[in-house]
Amino acid sequence: MRLELAILDIQDVQFGEKTTINDRVLYIHRQELRELLQQDKRLSKVDIELAHPGESCRILQVADVVEPRAKTKGSGEDFPGALGKQGTVGEGSTCVLRGVAVVINNQSEMHDMPEAEDPMGDIIDMSGPGAELSPYAKNHNVVVLPYPADGASPDDYKIALKIAGLKTAVYLAKAGRELEPDEGEVYDLPPLTEVTQGIEDLPKVAYLFQVYCTSYPAMVGEPILYGDNIRRLLPTIIHPNEVFDGAIVNTYQGRGTETYVIQNHPVIKDLYRRHGKELCFAGVILTVSRYTEPERERSVAMASNLAKSLLGADGVILTKASSGAPDIDVSQTAQRCEDMGIKAVLIMFGSESGIESGTVFNLPGAKAIVNTGNPFRLVSLPAVERIIGKPVILPSGVSADGELKKAPNWISGALDQEGHSKMVSVLY
Amino acid sequence: MTPIAVMIGANRIIPGAGVVHPLGNIDLDPKAEKTLRRAIVEKALETLQTELTEQKLFPRPV
Amino acid sequence: MSPGLRAVHYLNQFFGGVGGEEKASEGPQVKDGPIGPGGALQGLLKERGEIVATIICGDNYFAERTEKAVEEVLQMMTPYRPDMVIAGPAFNAGRYGMACGEVCKAAQGKLGIPAVTGMYEENPGVDLYKRAVYIVKTSDSARGMAEAASRMVNIALKLIAREKIGRPAEEGYFPRGIIRDERTDKSAAERAVSMVLAKIKGEPFEPEIELPKFDRVKPPAAIKDLASAKIALATDGGLVPRGNPDKMESYKSTRFASYNIKGVDSLSSKDFEANHIGYETEFIDQDPNRLVPLDVMRDLEKEGVIGKLHDKVYATAGVATSLANSKKIGQGIAEQLKADGVDGVILTST
Repeated sequence: MRLELAILDIQDVQFGEKTTINDRVLYIHRQELRELLQQDKRLSKVDIELAHPGESCRILQVADVVEPRAKTKGSGEDFPGALGKQGTVGEGSTCVLRGVAVVINNQSEMHDMPEAEDPMGDIIDMSGPGAELSPYAKNHNVVVLPYPADGASPDDYKIALKIAGLKTAVYLAKAGRELEPDEGEVYDLPPLTEVTQGIEDLPKVAYLFQVYCTSYPAMVGEPILYGDNIRRLLPTIIHPNEVFDGAIVNTYQGRGTETYVIQNHPVIKDLYRRHGKELCFAGVILTVSRYTEPERERSVAMASNLAKSLLGADGVILTKASSGAPDIDVSQTAQRCEDMGIKAVLIMFGSESGIESGTVFNLPGAKAIVNTGNPFRLVSLPAVERIIGKPVILPSGVSADGELKKAPNWISGALDQEGHSKMVSVLY
Repeated sequence: MTPIAVMIGANRIIPGAGVVHPLGNIDLDPKAEKTLRRAIVEKALETLQTELTEQKLFPRPV
Repeated sequence: MSPGLRAVHYLNQFFGGVGGEEKASEGPQVKDGPIGPGGALQGLLKERGEIVATIICGDNYFAERTEKAVEEVLQMMTPYRPDMVIAGPAFNAGRYGMACGEVCKAAQGKLGIPAVTGMYEENPGVDLYKRAVYIVKTSDSARGMAEAASRMVNIALKLIAREKIGRPAEEGYFPRGIIRDERTDKSAAERAVSMVLAKIKGEPFEPEIELPKFDRVKPPAAIKDLASAKIALATDGGLVPRGNPDKMESYKSTRFASYNIKGVDSLSSKDFEANHIGYETEFIDQDPNRLVPLDVMRDLEKEGVIGKLHDKVYATAGVATSLANSKKIGQGIAEQLKADGVDGVILTST
């Protein structure tokens, strides 16, 4: 499968009379976009705001971040299944607006998690120490603020939020489809039957992508994989290009990752970079972390078999979504792979307690671990001049635009368990 | 999550019915659910009455 | 000799040349200049510093009256105005290791003098003092003296110069339990790919998280007569009264709570909910008995299967709670249960 990303390097985003790209500036016809998004009856209205790098601005209640991408004509469907139409992705060409991100703001009163003791939700600071931690602060962010319609159920709204963000990403990228790209990236990986040709002596490395965990049940209709909510997904193989190209949308629950990360998946990118030189990229296996024993055992058995007997992997990299039960899944899968002769490496958050190292498992086959930093260490953030989102006062009395302490877990993009961040927790 | 309990050295461990409802099952009606809950609790009480020299992960009650 | 750094070296009776076990009850004495292994240290220090004095103390003397012994040692070193204190290395000698740890800790804490020591990994002094004091890793016997001395001097000099001390693996000391987040030039994904390639080739690699080791507790004797036993319920699933009035933590718990359920036959969703960020709590919120099986236990009590259901239910939230706090919470709950004459506990864990 060969995918070409036609990348436009956008340097500024402004509102304008027409949605178009001129001289590296993206102009957005605000009203047209709002009307497009407001067609969704689950929403009462949608606001659009812009946030630029360097501004003293804090975006609150971030539900997801999506890179504007649109398939060029005839190349496939945008976010197949999620935006309604099914279709193939991972081939042909996709227009990408680099330097821009769609940030979805969650305006609902309803929050699932007790950390909505902190009604600020996940944030992005566009300048200051928070911005240094998050790659999204370097983008021109188009913030989409959908409001729920009366009578829309909490689940309806959550899904409508996501769809609004995806629609916006596509709408914006379509403005660049006819233009000459500034750069191109090509991702070309042949089928398993051919992938080792000419590089038979290179080690075969596969990636086990735990895309979701069921301790947080997916909503009916929540689009994750080709629009399916994958609650019952059994381990399966997928082409890495499909991951890049919109087949996978991050779950509403977030769990420390954004769709943007998946679109630019760091492990897949690095395996592609080294393919043919240091290794053979043997493929991607998708799994879902299960929270009951028999289901977990089934998943471990199937995933390790796919790695061993179908992909013929010599080594695997495993990542997880969230923590707790997901740690058990990946460590047991790693152990099973090792038992079968496959070398396993895991990527996960660093020490969550901050004062000692340790995992919730001690299987020797799972000891090769790379950590992405401590998600709960507190970072001091200064007051800001502007906020986008629902202005809230925290239980401590501090207002959301004030000076506050936030942990990277709740700063969008600061760290994830897919490995894009350049932080590590070191034990001294 | 029984592997964690085994790792840290809990002595008497029985598997529950799932992380989000260790002593329940949302697919069952309330009466059947209570019956399930009772079966798990009875098993738990049984483990308290079982002599052990080292930790034991008991089989799933249902 | 050029005026460099002044070091005081602490040794036990054996390394100090006083004698063997038979001299272990000797009190502290001080001698000018380096003695025994101090020579190796001096050789490494060269012109940067001088071992101005060596304090020698019997291991038993120190162990039997630690506070007093420490005081005496500190008093002996003070007139020498040391810039640094080096103790041992103690290798695998337990009492010696404890003494070295204590001397270094006191020198740092009470006199503000940088200190360093060295021990073998199984020395009980390691776990007790590694957080307070830099302890370099040594072999289990004096054959490793040269390397131990080299590591100790390296760290001592850096401490005095207030230079950053590198990672434990690089500088050869036991990790002290301090976690720092640092920037890296390679992303975690890149490091993971490199690590798997190293593993495939059989090359060494450094895991970035340690797997934990857990101790074992002997299983308590089984309950002989359930019908007269008092059973309690507990959970780490974050059970709290609705609205969480005690503001219990939903993660990184530092405490536990107990709720009086005397006369209560079933946990109602009106009165209780789950406050825990580690799992989707809606099913417990709907029916808290799915977490803490009060309804069933009450039935069993009424039927006489168990003697009594304890009036208190204990709860905390387990997610991301440190090992230290987990132990504290567990011990705290256990103490109360023991005081209340509870025979058995059913703990529901999510």
